[in-house]
Amino acid sequence: MENKIPSYLLKPTSSKPEPGKVKGARLSFLDKTIMNSASALKSIYLQAENASKEKLVQKINPHIKLILLIYIVLIISITRHIEAQVIISIFIFSLYIIARLKISGVYKKIFFLATIFGFIVVLPASLNIITPGKIIFNIITINKPLHFWIYTIPRNIGFTENGFKVVLLIFLRVLNSVSFAMLMVFTTSFPAFIKSFKILGVPDTFLMIISLAYKYIFILSRTIEETYFALKSRLSGNIKSGRIRELISGRVFFIFNKSVIIYENTYFAMVSRGYNGKVLLHSQKKLTAIDFVTLIIIVASGLLIIYL
Amino acid sequence: MHIPDGYLSPQTYIPLFGVFVLTAAVAVKKVKAEVSSRNIPYLGMAAAFSFIIMMFNLPIPGGTTGHAVGSAVIAIIFGPWAAMLAVSVAIIIQALIFGDGGITAIGANCFNMAIFMPFTAYFIFKVFNIKTAKKPGVTFAAFISGYLSLVLAAILTAVEFGIQPLIASTPDGKALYCPYDLSIAIPAMTIEHMILFGIVEGIITASIVNYFLKTEPSLIYAFRKRAKNE
Repeated sequence: MENKIPSYLLKPTSSKPEPGKVKGARLSFLDKTIMNSASALKSIYLQAENASKEKLVQKINPHIKLILLIYIVLIISITRHIEAQVIISIFIFSLYIIARLKISGVYKKIFFLATIFGFIVVLPASLNIITPGKIIFNIITINKPLHFWIYTIPRNIGFTENGFKVVLLIFLRVLNSVSFAMLMVFTTSFPAFIKSFKILGVPDTFLMIISLAYKYIFILSRTIEETYFALKSRLSGNIKSGRIRELISGRVFFIFNKSVIIYENTYFAMVSRGYNGKVLLHSQKKLTAIDFVTLIIIVASGLLIIYL
Repeated sequence: MHIPDGYLSPQTYIPLFGVFVLTAAVAVKKVKAEVSSRNIPYLGMAAAFSFIIMMFNLPIPGGTTGHAVGSAVIAIIFGPWAAMLAVSVAIIIQALIFGDGGITAIGANCFNMAIFMPFTAYFIFKVFNIKTAKKPGVTFAAFISGYLSLVLAAILTAVEFGIQPLIASTPDGKALYCPYDLSIAIPAMTIEHMILFGIVEGIITASIVNYFLKTEPSLIYAFRKRAKNE
């Protein structure tokens, strides 16, 4: 039987532009935006999933968790000894085991953040140019010290012992703070955690704004993901950067309009349920023996670390 | 721009947190007066939009892509007080859920990105005194407000970093918090924000404001307020 399909339809097509002909921007910005929205959605899902587990850490009252979060983060912030920070790291890790969280997934994110902010950014501080001290690893030796404006570069440039201690201290501080904050937040329902801020005197209005924003972020992240997949399926080849900026501005405008619609719907739904501009968040479940025991153990451990 | 935990000493983050709390209290009153009982869902929406805007990557001349902090564009669209609250809520959610920015640094991050940056951006946008909503003038004003507000906020952040070795070091000169002094922190932060991130912020601010202007200028707070005053 004779093939009646037009020849141009039989030619293989590619959505990729021909090499050397790309004058406009690449389309990586689409993937980056999709990744950002997917990452936000994943974090929200993970948080909700972990918080709903019926394990010991999840059972602790959110008020206690908030007090512990502030207390421990402050201790991490004021502790100056590396040994004490290592003890805190082990202590937090053991809490993760008790909470039965997916340790590899959570710690992957924690180490990623700690490596960037606590290691890569501060690594140059281990050089004698920034932290003076005994050089333990010489990198380069120049003929004579260089003076430029307010800067002086010594003859020998290398890593110092004090420098390494500074980097290690900051790395452990970032690691401990991020890991403890994530443990507290990831084992508590987010609205319940936000409500617990009441004990610090934060007005109900502000807490309600945070809770609503959190829900809106979830809805809008999904919208962005869907919009961008649709956009990605329609774009290929040469597109000028200016045109892309216009397209994305259009998406931002669309998201803004969608936000306004959601906000108005929420407002009317609130009014229909008796909302008159005043908010009163209900208090949460009562404290139990587990809460008091946890509070005493962690406060005592914190004091021990301070006096170590 | 997000300061993580461990970089700032308590002598820095506690006063900045105090300033943030006081400003937030004033902002809640101001916004309540403007949008009455709608303030909660309105600010919730503004905060979510402020968070979401950071997700949008745009191609930047030179072949790279980038995203904005968004404080400038939020200030121009929602007004500085609403922007202050919206960006603060976004920063708090980022710190708690996504680990972007530290818990102890919430006050400092809010001070830099939710107080200083939106007010500076809005002031710069207003200084251009745009009489008519004509495209080239507004685009330029939006670009400059995005660019300058970010660069100035970066310098402010650099000062917060740079004073740490002066106020919190061991007797043998070991830094306890951010190890870079003012002579390193200020040039490092200023240069990278002047030649890269500031331009990204400016382009994104200008592109979004431009689109709003073309589609529905009445949504822009700065124009809405001017129309009300006239």
